Amino acid sequence: MSKLLPRPIRSKGDAAANSLWVINYFTACGFMELLPWVGSGYDMERFGILAVATPRHADVLIVAGYVTEKAVSRIKRIYDQMASPKYVMALGSCPMTGGMYWDSYSTVKRIDKYIPVDLWVLGCPPKPENIGHGIVMAMNAIKGGFGGH
Amino acid sequence: MATDKLEEIKTAVESRFGDSILSFDTKDGRIVLKVSAQASHEVLSLLKDLGFEHLSDVTGTDYIKDGEFEIAYHLWSHAKKIRAIQKIRISRESPVVKSIVDLWPGAQIHEREDHELFGIDFVGNPDLSPLFLEDWKEIPPFRKDFDTREYVKRRYYGD
Repeated sequence: MSKLLPRPIRSKGDAAANSLWVINYFTACGFMELLPWVGSGYDMERFGILAVATPRHADVLIVAGYVTEKAVSRIKRIYDQMASPKYVMALGSCPMTGGMYWDSYSTVKRIDKYIPVDLWVLGCPPKPENIGHGIVMAMNAIKGGFGGH
Repeated sequence: MATDKLEEIKTAVESRFGDSILSFDTKDGRIVLKVSAQASHEVLSLLKDLGFEHLSDVTGTDYIKDGEFEIAYHLWSHAKKIRAIQKIRISRESPVVKSIVDLWPGAQIHEREDHELFGIDFVGNPDLSPLFLEDWKEIPPFRKDFDTREYVKRRYYGD
């Protein structure tokens, strides 16, 4: 019975980890694999994760997919508007290495040269399970005191 | 596809612009006509009057061995249900062509893109500022003499 009762919030990190609000920057297929989390299939709201409309309400920036030279300045602008503590999650190979666009003239190859990235999720694109694994890892790290930026 | 419709269009175009029409092919219900660059604007104007009221695309191709760019105007007739593609060739050294924004205002964005990616100058287009690229200092990237691999190595993988 005690399992059904609301768990007391033990720390600031605990509260933050269970109420991650997300601003998404979707450019490509990464978002297609994140969508099951938005819907009821994987249901991100059971973790307290909400998609918000403005970066000023967000704790987490998710960059899903390749990033062009033109997009990176927008991402920086979104990142600068977010209030601290803030976390950045990059989905897929493209923001990591350029992925299949490694020799494209218009995409940046490593997003962490422009903004700090806290969590990389592997995959081309990553499966929803990988993204969930990443989210739980991030929640555990925040509960453990990881303060972001 | 009714062949008489195609013949009708062919007659109408060739009777007015006999020498300027370099070739006129009909294939799979499409019309592909090659036109001299000088007559391009007038032929497009005639095609518009003949019912090709929808401009789908303006595309560029770099034929570096011939020293020419090819510009293709993709037209569609809703009434006739025929696609027409008009192709013109212009020199690579001075790629200047008359804009068709006066015929189709929607051509503005297509020409702007072609200008950015090939460096083709469309005279009469009100805005040819960069569309996708920011702070681009190289030659236009869709030209065949632009070495993408070399640029990427220098820009992203250099020390």
